[in-house]
Amino acid sequence: MGATTRQQEILEELRRQIRRLEHRPARREGLLSCGRPEVDALLPGGGFPRGSLCELRGGPASGKTGLALAALCQAQSEGGLAAFVDGPGELYPPAASSLGVNLSRLLFVRPGHIPRGGARDAALPGLWAAEVLLGSGAFSAVAVDVSLSGLSSARAEPLLRRLRTAAEKGGTVALLLCRPGAPTIPAAVRIDLDAVRLRPSLRIAPDEESPHVA
Amino acid sequence: MSRERAPPRVLAIAVPDLPLQRSLRSRPPAGALAVVSEGLVLHVVAVARAAGVRPGDSLVQARAACAGLEVVPLDAAADRAALCALAEALLSLSPAVEVSPPDAVLLDATGARLSGADPAEAERELANGALRLCAAMGFEGRIAVADGKGVALALARHTGRERTRAAPGEGARVLSSLPLAALELPAGMAGWLAAVGVESVGALAALPAEGLAQRFGAAGAAAARLARGIDPRPLVPFAPETFPHEEWDLEGEVGVLSSAEPVIFAAKRLADRVAARLAGRGLGASRLRLTLRLDPRGEERLDLPLARPSTDAAAWLVPLRERISGLRLPAPVRALDLAVVEAAEVPAEQLAVGDRPEVARALEVALSRLSARLGERSLFAAEAADRHRPEMAYRATPFRSGAPPATAMRHPASGAKPLPPAPDPPPGRPTRLLDPPRPVVATGEGGRISTLRIDGVPRAVLSLVGPERLAGEWWHEPFERDYYRVRLEGLGEAWIYRDGRDGRLWLHGLFD
Repeated sequence: MGATTRQQEILEELRRQIRRLEHRPARREGLLSCGRPEVDALLPGGGFPRGSLCELRGGPASGKTGLALAALCQAQSEGGLAAFVDGPGELYPPAASSLGVNLSRLLFVRPGHIPRGGARDAALPGLWAAEVLLGSGAFSAVAVDVSLSGLSSARAEPLLRRLRTAAEKGGTVALLLCRPGAPTIPAAVRIDLDAVRLRPSLRIAPDEESPHVA
Repeated sequence: MSRERAPPRVLAIAVPDLPLQRSLRSRPPAGALAVVSEGLVLHVVAVARAAGVRPGDSLVQARAACAGLEVVPLDAAADRAALCALAEALLSLSPAVEVSPPDAVLLDATGARLSGADPAEAERELANGALRLCAAMGFEGRIAVADGKGVALALARHTGRERTRAAPGEGARVLSSLPLAALELPAGMAGWLAAVGVESVGALAALPAEGLAQRFGAAGAAAARLARGIDPRPLVPFAPETFPHEEWDLEGEVGVLSSAEPVIFAAKRLADRVAARLAGRGLGASRLRLTLRLDPRGEERLDLPLARPSTDAAAWLVPLRERISGLRLPAPVRALDLAVVEAAEVPAEQLAVGDRPEVARALEVALSRLSARLGERSLFAAEAADRHRPEMAYRATPFRSGAPPATAMRHPASGAKPLPPAPDPPPGRPTRLLDPPRPVVATGEGGRISTLRIDGVPRAVLSLVGPERLAGEWWHEPFERDYYRVRLEGLGEAWIYRDGRDGRLWLHGLFD
């Protein structure tokens, strides 16, 4: 047991040295508070785990965007940068500002270009952009609002795994905004938001594939 | 009593066989190669020299000695351009650089001693930097540091050593052993001196200066001074007029269809050179253009917008590699040209608390990749605009990584004007704004709305708050809207408005 721990420490130190040699940013670790105590209280450890995918699933007006913006605001308050991959191009900056987000340190990415595959491949530019941002290590948190409805589960799975790998590499919190019915996401944490009732309800759904949630 | 002004210290960097080196640097390693002009060999590579080809041979003689000899015609304009490119890169080392055709560049090295270090050590460091830049530009140079440009030039061109240094006041002694040709005197004077048996610079220095002045006028007086290590002429500063571009000839017709690697390799070389030239001018590229010339004709141009002005060739290479790898070309590539289309001063990096330089670099690479693939307009930051029309209430601005975080303080002595305060965002705005708004059909009784049909789906109205009237812009496109915040069954909160012009209802946003 002790030997294994020692090996892990050596491996981690080697990784740190490689990052330094490659002039890559140090990997962030720990948790990112989502900025809302009532949600943090539900999250394992009290925040979104850095270097992982976190899924915010809900209908069109369920509150998932507001929750993502609150987390981005929290990332900014720690001195980091935040990004929002806005596939549908609907994020309204004045609302983000009124929620406390520093607009000058929030990168909007609106991949308007539709690739050759048409609607079937419409999600690809946004997912690619998210992968670049997550893997760069330059951002503390990245919200990804890309419709996955055109993708089959078989097609979406490798793309989402790439996102997860990029988030791990960059130590970035990836917040995926999904509608009900979207393919399963290999997320460490999933929050279901339900706006059918008068107040959105929150439910932490442990992901079967994830070791992060007990 | 007047104190005599110290002569300027000059660093001369000479590129031996410049036409040959220029030809070799823009193509893969070749075999026997010679530069010829008017049927005569001017420069040859070592392989051809070993085969018996000598400068001055006729082309027929050269081909007889070396059957596989490849011949490149002399291109004086291209050589001059290459020399100017080198001078441009060397501007990063000294504020005054002079181009001295056909094969040398001069730098003002007087300031090197101001660095506080030992003058000899400071000049050695300057020479190291110049040699590094020279190598980055694809040339192998020889360097001399001496008093005055004539002395430095003679030493750089004629000692045959990679580095020569004549300490202040020692120019005459170091020059004395060189042949008279090192001073590059006018032909008439050189011929007369040879006829009277003057063969070295030292012998010329021993002649009385007055006699030379009487016989050859001002040229004779200047030659006498130069032989004594005295050359007070100032440098003629070089000022580049255009943005840099560099070319690479892919000998052997490398096709990117089968493998993009050779093209990427060539692009990297070009990027290094262009970056070195830009750095010399204190500029950074904000847009590059890579032109791939196809065989036998046609070309493909890749525009590469960069996230911010930069001279980091490694950062340019990431999006360049992606763009080249993604190309499908109808023909092999025979040449590349990398040009700076837009450049700007490199802004000082303002890092936020906790940010580190590697974060800034990682950000630059990521933004350049996104910008190259998705287009510049796809990436932006936003700032509030003082407009009532909701869809106009913000504007896109370039994303600056150095934008201060909310907690950062502006340095009181920075001198920068404080930015005007952004207008406060109006309360109660939806997180998502729909563009275009979607039509809504209302049903109800007695003037009370009970159901809204959106996208064909009827949804019961659970609550309705409003109106908030927004109107204005009478001078342009007048609008008048009454906004309501509506909670709908099965959907959540929505932002709808009634258009004052026709009374129709529209869904404009969602409180997601």
